[in-house]
Amino acid sequence: MKKILLIIPAYNEEENILKTYKKIISYNKKNGTDYHVIVINDGSKDKTGIILKTNNIPHINLIHNLGIGGAVQTGYKYALENNYDIAVQFDGDGQHDVSYVKKICDPIIEGQADMTIGSRFIDRSTSKFKSTKFRRLGINVISRVIKFKTKVKIYDTTSGFRAVNKDIITLFADKYPTEYPEPISTVETINNGYKVKEVPVKMLERIGGVSSITSWKTAYYMINVILSMLIIGKKVK
Amino acid sequence: MSINLRILLFIFSLFCFIITGVLLKKEKIPVKYSLVWILTATVILLVSVFPEFLYMVTKLLGFQTTSNMIIGIILCLLLTITVILTIIVSRQNKRITLLIQEVSLLKKGNK
Repeated sequence: MKKILLIIPAYNEEENILKTYKKIISYNKKNGTDYHVIVINDGSKDKTGIILKTNNIPHINLIHNLGIGGAVQTGYKYALENNYDIAVQFDGDGQHDVSYVKKICDPIIEGQADMTIGSRFIDRSTSKFKSTKFRRLGINVISRVIKFKTKVKIYDTTSGFRAVNKDIITLFADKYPTEYPEPISTVETINNGYKVKEVPVKMLERIGGVSSITSWKTAYYMINVILSMLIIGKKVK
Repeated sequence: MSINLRILLFIFSLFCFIITGVLLKKEKIPVKYSLVWILTATVILLVSVFPEFLYMVTKLLGFQTTSNMIIGIILCLLLTITVILTIIVSRQNKRITLLIQEVSLLKKGNK
Protein backbone atom coordinates (compact mmCIF):
# COMPACT_ATOMS: atom_id res chain seq x y z
CA MET A 1 0.00 0.00 0.00
CA LYS A 2 1.17 3.50 -0.82
CA LYS A 3 2.25 5.69 2.06
CA ILE A 4 0.08 8.80 1.97
CA LEU A 5 0.74 11.99 3.90
CA LEU A 6 -1.66 14.87 4.35
CA ILE A 7 0.22 18.15 4.67
CA ILE A 8 -1.89 20.66 6.54
CA PRO A 9 -0.52 24.19 6.73
CA ALA A 10 -2.01 26.09 9.65
CA TYR A 11 -1.76 29.74 10.53
CA ASN A 12 -4.00 30.85 13.39
CA GLU A 13 -6.41 27.95 12.92
CA GLU A 14 -7.32 27.31 16.58
CA GLU A 15 -11.02 27.08 15.71
CA ASN A 16 -10.66 24.52 12.94
CA ILE A 17 -7.53 22.47 13.28
CA LEU A 18 -8.78 19.97 15.87
CA LYS A 19 -12.05 19.38 13.99
CA THR A 20 -10.13 18.84 10.77
CA TYR A 21 -7.80 16.35 12.43
CA LYS A 22 -10.60 14.43 14.14
CA LYS A 23 -12.47 14.12 10.85
CA ILE A 24 -9.41 12.58 9.21
CA ILE A 25 -8.86 10.13 12.07
CA SER A 26 -12.48 8.99 12.12
CA TYR A 27 -12.42 8.66 8.33
CA ASN A 28 -9.33 6.46 8.65
CA LYS A 29 -11.12 4.24 11.19
CA LYS A 30 -14.30 3.94 9.15
CA ASN A 31 -12.68 3.24 5.81
CA GLY A 32 -9.58 1.32 6.84
CA THR A 33 -7.32 3.91 5.27
CA ASP A 34 -4.04 4.99 6.76
CA TYR A 35 -3.62 8.65 5.94
CA HIS A 36 -0.81 10.15 7.96
CA VAL A 37 -1.07 13.78 8.95
CA ILE A 38 1.54 16.47 9.45
CA VAL A 39 0.34 19.90 10.49
CA ILE A 40 2.75 22.72 9.72
CA ASN A 41 2.14 25.39 12.32
CA ASP A 42 3.33 28.51 10.55
CA GLY A 43 4.21 30.54 13.61
CA SER A 44 0.58 30.95 14.69
CA LYS A 45 -0.04 33.67 17.24
CA ASP A 46 -3.18 32.05 18.68
CA LYS A 47 -3.60 28.75 20.52
CA THR A 48 -2.97 26.55 17.45
CA GLY A 49 0.39 25.40 18.84
CA ILE A 50 -1.05 24.44 22.22
CA ILE A 51 -3.99 22.61 20.63
CA LEU A 52 -1.61 20.64 18.42
CA LYS A 53 0.52 19.66 21.41
CA THR A 54 -2.21 18.76 23.90
CA ASN A 55 -4.11 16.66 21.35
CA ASN A 56 -0.99 14.85 20.17
CA ILE A 57 -1.51 15.89 16.58
CA PRO A 58 1.67 15.23 14.55
CA HIS A 59 3.02 18.66 13.76
CA ILE A 60 6.02 20.81 12.99
CA ASN A 61 6.22 24.21 14.63
CA LEU A 62 7.96 26.62 12.32
CA ILE A 63 10.17 28.76 14.53
CA HIS A 64 9.09 31.81 12.56
CA ASN A 65 6.20 32.61 10.23
CA LEU A 66 7.11 31.79 6.61
CA GLY A 67 3.84 32.23 4.73
CA ILE A 68 1.87 29.51 2.97
CA GLY A 69 4.53 28.53 0.42
CA GLY A 70 7.33 28.11 2.92
CA ALA A 71 5.04 26.20 5.28
CA VAL A 72 3.81 23.77 2.63
CA GLN A 73 7.35 23.24 1.38
CA THR A 74 8.36 22.19 4.89
CA GLY A 75 5.66 19.52 4.59
CA TYR A 76 7.15 18.31 1.31
CA LYS A 77 10.58 18.16 2.91
CA TYR A 78 9.12 16.10 5.73
CA ALA A 79 7.41 13.82 3.18
CA LEU A 80 10.70 13.33 1.35
CA GLU A 81 12.65 12.58 4.54
CA ASN A 82 10.06 10.05 5.66
CA ASN A 83 9.77 8.38 2.31
CA TYR A 84 6.12 9.02 1.54
CA ASP A 85 4.81 7.91 -1.87
CA ILE A 86 2.09 10.52 -2.10
CA ALA A 87 1.74 13.91 -0.44
CA VAL A 88 -1.64 15.60 -0.30
CA GLN A 89 -1.96 19.27 0.44
CA PHE A 90 -4.98 19.74 2.65
CA ASP A 91 -6.39 22.89 4.21
CA GLY A 92 -6.72 23.10 7.97
CA ASP A 93 -9.71 25.43 7.84
CA GLY A 94 -12.36 22.84 7.00
CA GLN A 95 -12.72 23.71 3.31
CA HIS A 96 -11.46 20.35 2.13
CA ASP A 97 -13.32 17.10 2.57
CA VAL A 98 -11.20 14.10 3.55
CA SER A 99 -13.50 11.71 1.68
CA TYR A 100 -12.15 13.16 -1.57
CA VAL A 101 -8.54 12.33 -0.74
CA LYS A 102 -8.98 8.87 -2.25
CA LYS A 103 -10.40 10.42 -5.39
CA ILE A 104 -7.44 12.73 -5.96
CA CYS A 105 -4.89 10.04 -5.02
CA ASP A 106 -6.26 7.32 -7.32
CA PRO A 107 -5.03 8.81 -10.63
CA ILE A 108 -1.55 9.03 -9.11
CA ILE A 109 -1.61 5.46 -7.81
CA GLU A 110 -2.79 4.26 -11.22
CA GLY A 111 -0.01 6.24 -12.88
CA GLN A 112 -2.36 8.48 -14.87
CA ALA A 113 -0.90 11.66 -13.44
CA ASP A 114 2.04 12.97 -11.42
CA MET A 115 -0.01 15.67 -9.78
CA THR A 116 -3.75 16.01 -9.28
CA ILE A 117 -5.68 19.14 -8.40
CA GLY A 118 -8.98 18.95 -6.58
CA SER A 119 -11.15 21.18 -8.70
CA ARG A 120 -14.38 22.99 -7.92
CA PHE A 121 -15.06 23.87 -11.51
CA ILE A 122 -14.77 20.95 -13.88
CA ASP A 123 -17.94 19.23 -12.76
CA ARG A 124 -20.67 21.74 -12.01
CA SER A 125 -22.74 19.42 -9.88
CA THR A 126 -20.10 18.55 -7.30
CA SER A 127 -19.55 21.78 -5.47
CA LYS A 128 -22.04 24.33 -4.25
CA PHE A 129 -19.28 26.51 -2.91
CA LYS A 130 -17.52 28.03 -5.87
CA SER A 131 -16.11 31.20 -4.31
CA THR A 132 -17.18 34.77 -5.11
CA LYS A 133 -17.70 36.15 -8.61
CA PHE A 134 -14.69 38.43 -8.37
CA ARG A 135 -12.38 35.66 -7.30
CA ARG A 136 -13.74 33.35 -10.00
CA LEU A 137 -12.81 36.00 -12.54
CA GLY A 138 -9.27 36.06 -11.17
CA ILE A 139 -9.06 32.28 -11.25
CA ASN A 140 -10.25 32.37 -14.85
CA VAL A 141 -7.58 34.87 -15.90
CA ILE A 142 -4.88 32.76 -14.26
CA SER A 143 -6.32 29.74 -16.05
CA ARG A 144 -5.90 31.49 -19.40
CA VAL A 145 -2.31 32.44 -18.61
CA ILE A 146 -1.53 28.82 -17.69
CA LYS A 147 -3.13 27.65 -20.94
CA PHE A 148 -1.07 30.21 -22.87
CA LYS A 149 2.12 29.21 -21.12
CA THR A 150 1.77 25.42 -21.02
CA LYS A 151 -1.02 24.54 -23.50
CA VAL A 152 -2.75 22.73 -20.63
CA LYS A 153 -6.16 23.83 -19.41
CA ILE A 154 -6.42 23.99 -15.64
CA TYR A 155 -9.75 25.23 -14.34
CA ASP A 156 -9.37 25.61 -10.59
CA THR A 157 -5.99 27.30 -10.58
CA THR A 158 -5.89 28.39 -6.96
CA SER A 159 -7.15 25.18 -5.42
CA GLY A 160 -5.01 24.22 -2.43
CA PHE A 161 -6.32 20.66 -2.51
CA ARG A 162 -3.77 18.67 -4.47
CA ALA A 163 -1.85 15.43 -4.46
CA VAL A 164 1.60 14.72 -5.85
CA ASN A 165 3.77 11.65 -6.37
CA LYS A 166 7.29 11.03 -5.15
CA ASP A 167 9.02 12.72 -8.09
CA ILE A 168 7.17 15.93 -7.44
CA ILE A 169 7.66 15.65 -3.68
CA THR A 170 11.38 15.67 -4.46
CA LEU A 171 10.95 18.60 -6.84
CA PHE A 172 8.90 20.66 -4.38
CA ALA A 173 11.17 19.88 -1.43
CA ASP A 174 13.98 21.45 -3.41
CA LYS A 175 12.11 24.31 -5.04
CA TYR A 176 8.73 25.73 -4.21
CA PRO A 177 7.41 29.27 -4.69
CA THR A 178 7.13 31.12 -1.40
CA GLU A 179 4.28 33.43 -2.36
CA TYR A 180 1.01 32.44 -4.04
CA PRO A 181 2.37 28.96 -4.65
CA GLU A 182 -0.55 27.09 -6.23
CA PRO A 183 -0.71 28.48 -9.78
CA ILE A 184 3.03 29.05 -9.99
CA SER A 185 3.94 25.53 -8.88
CA THR A 186 1.37 24.13 -11.33
CA VAL A 187 3.12 25.85 -14.23
CA GLU A 188 6.51 24.71 -12.96
CA THR A 189 5.30 21.13 -12.70
CA ILE A 190 3.88 21.05 -16.23
CA ASN A 191 6.96 22.82 -17.56
CA ASN A 192 9.15 20.10 -16.10
CA GLY A 193 7.28 17.56 -18.18
CA TYR A 194 5.01 16.11 -15.49
CA LYS A 195 1.39 15.23 -16.05
CA VAL A 196 -1.19 17.25 -14.14
CA LYS A 197 -4.81 16.17 -13.89
CA GLU A 198 -7.82 17.89 -12.41
CA VAL A 199 -10.29 15.90 -10.37
CA PRO A 200 -13.73 17.22 -9.44
CA VAL A 201 -14.21 17.65 -5.69
CA LYS A 202 -16.67 19.33 -3.43
CA MET A 203 -15.38 22.10 -1.21
CA LEU A 204 -17.07 23.53 1.82
CA GLU A 205 -17.17 27.06 3.05
CA ARG A 206 -14.77 27.93 5.81
CA ILE A 207 -15.98 26.91 9.25
CA GLY A 208 -14.20 29.79 10.92
CA GLY A 209 -11.18 32.05 10.69
CA VAL A 210 -10.27 34.33 7.83
CA SER A 211 -9.08 33.39 4.35
CA SER A 212 -5.51 34.33 3.61
CA ILE A 213 -6.46 36.23 0.46
CA THR A 214 -8.29 39.49 1.16
CA SER A 215 -9.96 41.55 -1.54
CA TRP A 216 -7.72 44.61 -1.50
CA LYS A 217 -4.72 42.42 -2.07
CA THR A 218 -6.27 40.79 -5.13
CA ALA A 219 -4.82 43.19 -7.71
CA TYR A 220 -1.34 42.84 -6.27
CA TYR A 221 -1.86 39.09 -6.16
CA MET A 222 -2.89 38.92 -9.82
CA ILE A 223 0.03 40.99 -11.10
CA ASN A 224 2.46 38.98 -9.03
CA VAL A 225 1.11 35.58 -10.06
CA ILE A 226 0.81 36.34 -13.76
CA LEU A 227 4.29 37.80 -13.97
CA SER A 228 5.76 34.89 -11.99
CA MET A 229 4.11 32.37 -14.29
CA LEU A 230 5.27 34.12 -17.43
CA ILE A 231 8.92 34.22 -16.45
CA ILE A 232 9.16 30.53 -15.55
CA GLY A 233 11.53 28.94 -18.02
CA LYS A 234 12.08 25.39 -19.09
CA LYS A 235 14.24 23.48 -16.69
CA VAL A 236 17.90 23.67 -17.64
CA LYS A 237 19.33 20.20 -17.29
CA MET B 1 31.86 74.30 -11.41
CA SER B 2 31.56 77.00 -8.75
CA ILE B 3 33.91 77.08 -5.81
CA ASN B 4 30.86 76.67 -3.54
CA LEU B 5 29.92 73.36 -5.16
CA ARG B 6 33.51 72.17 -4.90
CA ILE B 7 33.62 72.96 -1.19
CA LEU B 8 30.27 71.23 -0.74
CA LEU B 9 31.48 68.11 -2.56
CA PHE B 10 34.68 68.13 -0.51
CA ILE B 11 32.75 68.25 2.76
CA PHE B 12 30.36 65.61 1.47
CA SER B 13 33.19 63.22 0.64
CA LEU B 14 34.77 63.75 4.06
CA PHE B 15 31.37 63.03 5.58
CA CYS B 16 31.16 59.83 3.53
CA PHE B 17 34.59 58.74 4.77
CA ILE B 18 33.75 59.45 8.39
CA ILE B 19 30.42 57.60 8.34
CA THR B 20 31.91 54.60 6.56
CA GLY B 21 34.82 54.60 9.00
CA VAL B 22 32.54 54.72 12.03
CA LEU B 23 30.33 51.93 10.66
CA LEU B 24 33.39 49.81 9.99
CA LYS B 25 34.89 50.52 13.39
CA LYS B 26 31.65 49.55 15.15
CA GLU B 27 31.46 46.47 12.93
CA LYS B 28 28.04 47.48 11.66
CA ILE B 29 29.12 46.68 8.10
CA PRO B 30 31.78 44.31 6.76
CA VAL B 31 34.69 45.66 4.72
CA LYS B 32 33.31 44.28 1.46
CA TYR B 33 30.16 46.42 1.70
CA SER B 34 32.15 49.49 2.74
CA LEU B 35 34.35 49.39 -0.38
CA VAL B 36 31.71 50.89 -2.65
CA TRP B 37 31.27 53.84 -0.28
CA ILE B 38 35.00 54.39 0.16
CA LEU B 39 35.36 54.34 -3.62
CA THR B 40 32.49 56.81 -4.03
CA ALA B 41 33.95 59.13 -1.42
CA THR B 42 37.37 58.96 -3.04
CA VAL B 43 35.98 59.83 -6.47
CA ILE B 44 34.03 62.77 -5.05
CA LEU B 45 37.10 63.96 -3.20
CA LEU B 46 39.25 63.83 -6.35
CA VAL B 47 36.60 65.62 -8.35
CA SER B 48 36.31 68.46 -5.85
CA VAL B 49 40.09 68.96 -5.78
CA PHE B 50 40.78 68.46 -9.50
CA PRO B 51 37.63 69.46 -11.40
CA GLU B 52 39.37 69.90 -14.80
CA PHE B 53 38.91 66.27 -15.79
CA LEU B 54 35.21 66.61 -15.02
CA TYR B 55 34.78 69.52 -17.43
CA MET B 56 36.10 67.32 -20.19
CA VAL B 57 33.72 64.47 -19.41
CA THR B 58 30.79 66.87 -19.19
CA LYS B 59 31.43 68.10 -22.71
CA LEU B 60 31.98 64.58 -23.95
CA LEU B 61 28.69 63.24 -22.53
CA GLY B 62 26.75 66.33 -23.64
CA PHE B 63 25.56 67.60 -20.25
CA GLN B 64 24.74 71.30 -19.98
CA THR B 65 26.57 71.83 -16.72
CA THR B 66 28.97 69.86 -14.60
CA SER B 67 26.60 69.90 -11.66
CA ASN B 68 23.94 68.21 -13.79
CA MET B 69 26.37 65.50 -14.68
CA ILE B 70 27.35 64.95 -11.06
CA ILE B 71 23.70 64.49 -10.14
CA GLY B 72 23.23 62.13 -13.08
CA ILE B 73 26.21 60.02 -12.12
CA ILE B 74 25.20 59.85 -8.47
CA LEU B 75 21.67 58.83 -9.49
CA CYS B 76 23.02 55.97 -11.63
CA LEU B 77 25.32 54.88 -8.84
CA LEU B 78 22.51 54.85 -6.28
CA LEU B 79 20.21 52.90 -8.60
CA THR B 80 22.92 50.31 -9.16
CA ILE B 81 23.54 49.97 -5.45
CA THR B 82 19.79 49.60 -4.82
CA VAL B 83 19.50 46.81 -7.37
CA ILE B 84 22.47 45.03 -5.83
CA LEU B 85 20.93 45.42 -2.38
CA THR B 86 17.63 43.96 -3.66
CA ILE B 87 19.56 40.95 -4.94
CA ILE B 88 21.31 40.56 -1.61
CA VAL B 89 18.04 40.84 0.35
CA SER B 90 16.39 38.24 -1.89
CA ARG B 91 19.27 35.86 -1.36
CA GLN B 92 19.13 36.38 2.40
CA ASN B 93 15.37 35.71 2.27
CA LYS B 94 15.95 32.36 0.59
CA ARG B 95 18.58 31.42 3.14
CA ILE B 96 16.39 32.42 6.08
CA THR B 97 13.47 30.37 4.72
CA LEU B 98 15.74 27.37 4.34
CA LEU B 99 17.10 27.83 7.87
CA ILE B 100 13.66 28.14 9.44
CA GLN B 101 12.46 25.02 7.63
CA GLU B 102 15.48 22.89 8.46
CA VAL B 103 15.64 23.97 12.11
CA SER B 104 11.91 23.36 12.51
CA LEU B 105 12.24 19.90 10.93
CA LEU B 106 15.17 19.12 13.24
CA LYS B 107 13.22 20.23 16.30
CA LYS B 108 10.35 17.97 15.26
CA GLY B 109 12.77 15.03 14.89
CA ASN B 110 14.00 15.32 18.45
CA LYS B 111 10.58 15.00 20.03
